[in-house]
Amino acid sequence: MALKELSSLEKFLGLKKPNKYSTQGDRKVPVLQSNSGPGLVGLVTIATHLTQEAKKPDLLGSSAEERAVVQQWLEYRVTRLDGCAKEDIRTILKDLNTYLEDKVYLAGNHISIADPLMYYGLHHIIMDLAVHEKEKYLNVTRWFDHMQHYPIVRHHLPPVAVLRNRVYTSGHH
Amino acid sequence: MAAGTLYTYPENWRAFKAQIAAQYSGAKLKVASTPPAFSFGQTNRTPAFLSNFPTGKVPAYQGDDGFCLTESNAIAYYLCSDALRGTSPQASAQVLQWVSFADADIVPSASAWVFPTLGIMQFNKQATEQAKEEMKRALAYLNQHLNTRTFLVGERVSLADITVACSLLWAYKQVLEPAFRQAYPNVNRWFVTCINQPQFKTVLGEVKLCEKMAQFDAKKFTDVQPKKDTPPKEKKGGKEGKKEKKEDKKKEEKKAAAPAAEEMDECEVALAAEPKTKDPYAHLPKSPFVMDEFKRKYSNEDTLTVALPHFWEHFDREGYSIWYGEYRFPKELTQTFMSCNLISGMFQRLDRLRKTAFASMILFGTNNNSTISGIWVFRGQDLAFPLSDDWQIDYESYAWRKLEVDSEECKTMVKEYFAWEGDFKHVGMPISQGKIFK
Repeated sequence: MALKELSSLEKFLGLKKPNKYSTQGDRKVPVLQSNSGPGLVGLVTIATHLTQEAKKPDLLGSSAEERAVVQQWLEYRVTRLDGCAKEDIRTILKDLNTYLEDKVYLAGNHISIADPLMYYGLHHIIMDLAVHEKEKYLNVTRWFDHMQHYPIVRHHLPPVAVLRNRVYTSGHH
Repeated sequence: MAAGTLYTYPENWRAFKAQIAAQYSGAKLKVASTPPAFSFGQTNRTPAFLSNFPTGKVPAYQGDDGFCLTESNAIAYYLCSDALRGTSPQASAQVLQWVSFADADIVPSASAWVFPTLGIMQFNKQATEQAKEEMKRALAYLNQHLNTRTFLVGERVSLADITVACSLLWAYKQVLEPAFRQAYPNVNRWFVTCINQPQFKTVLGEVKLCEKMAQFDAKKFTDVQPKKDTPPKEKKGGKEGKKEKKEDKKKEEKKAAAPAAEEMDECEVALAAEPKTKDPYAHLPKSPFVMDEFKRKYSNEDTLTVALPHFWEHFDREGYSIWYGEYRFPKELTQTFMSCNLISGMFQRLDRLRKTAFASMILFGTNNNSTISGIWVFRGQDLAFPLSDDWQIDYESYAWRKLEVDSEECKTMVKEYFAWEGDFKHVGMPISQGKIFK
């Protein structure tokens, strides 16, 4: 899973030459193999490194504050989202829905590395949501749909159907 | 890819649409908004400009290939990439839908609400309240649409976003204070995202959202208003004064009744906002010849049997003079409709002269063989045009000659030009069309 994601990320970043990855430990933490010295360990470390490698520093945030927010979401992804308990999913979606109410992207006014990484991490969760739940977390759904319409983001993942017109109009916001 | 020049006055939100579209598409667009390239109110009144853009309105676009275009939406559309226009028939129709929505449902109420706060339109409480309600309806609709969407059409910025965001620009800057706009979180999210895209930012700069709803700026309003809109002076003799008062009142009422419907185009607003000079005839003694009365006779009654006798009976030789003007470049006149535009354009630009002058201009001849000449009646003994900077655009294209009021020539010319009939011996061509300046 994480390895496919990293290869998608490479494409998103426009990196031509694929890197070699392996995993370590029970949680299958990704490792970027390097020819010289020890590899880079962990999704956040690797993603940050790849972005710098691709010379797209704006994707890490274009101001000090934005860079902090990007890092916050990368951290959120690995500490809160990955491997979260089933009962936590609703809380995560609820929080994210509130956060995205006044935002199109997770950090700043343009796409950053946080967006595709959160999209990859949330994909299996959104896939499993029922229609009325997608409506309940409307801002998450809108953001998710926007992400999956970036052809460079959605490489290895199937599209998720999103309804434009609400079915359960009496439901939540 | 399109390349050309956009003529506009500075900070024109209509021009922004085209400029942002060009930022996205990479069209090479030069913007002429400041002297010497373009000075609003002058450049757009020159014959050269008017021959390309007969209305004299901006924004106006001229391609490096000579292609000319007016109307901001058309210019923006032309400068768009395919992606911005919508790549499927459905998407491009939706883009058009939102462009029309902006014009029909946002611009009128936004203007009626915002203009008074900028001091470029009289404040009317009822009109402002009505505009607020209309704005609420438009924003509610947008808010609902953007509930499930990131951008208006598809998943990328399109001309729809550019157009609608630009039409809301002044409202967001001037009047949509936080308490008002909080009811439309989806619109706010979308708007802030749009204006922060680099392509928008390059054109708009840093947009500061309104913090406190701006109110009517009475001082600015009186400062920039043309003189004719100030209340008539207290002391005014007899009939004339009364009539003017009545007219002014009527004007006010009309404005109050339907400000949204007849909201001013920024172009006109900017024109109205131009600094006004003082009455150039203030130094002259009062004249017994009442211009308005003559004009009424001319408009409502027979020229030969009523208006002309009235004219000669009351004409004030001291206070007024009669001039003959003839177009100096008849060889350049081609299509008659273009020559007619030349005349009406000149009349328009001399608007402020109407109170004190009267003229009949006639286009003689046919396509590619024509001439223009006319008779003008001015206050005072000198040519009126040099008295005001606003009046000097056209007059140098004409040769002017002051007529001896009591000469046979003058009597004949006045008769022929006012009545649009006669031999016109000095011209030697049949009348094509006449136009009256009154």
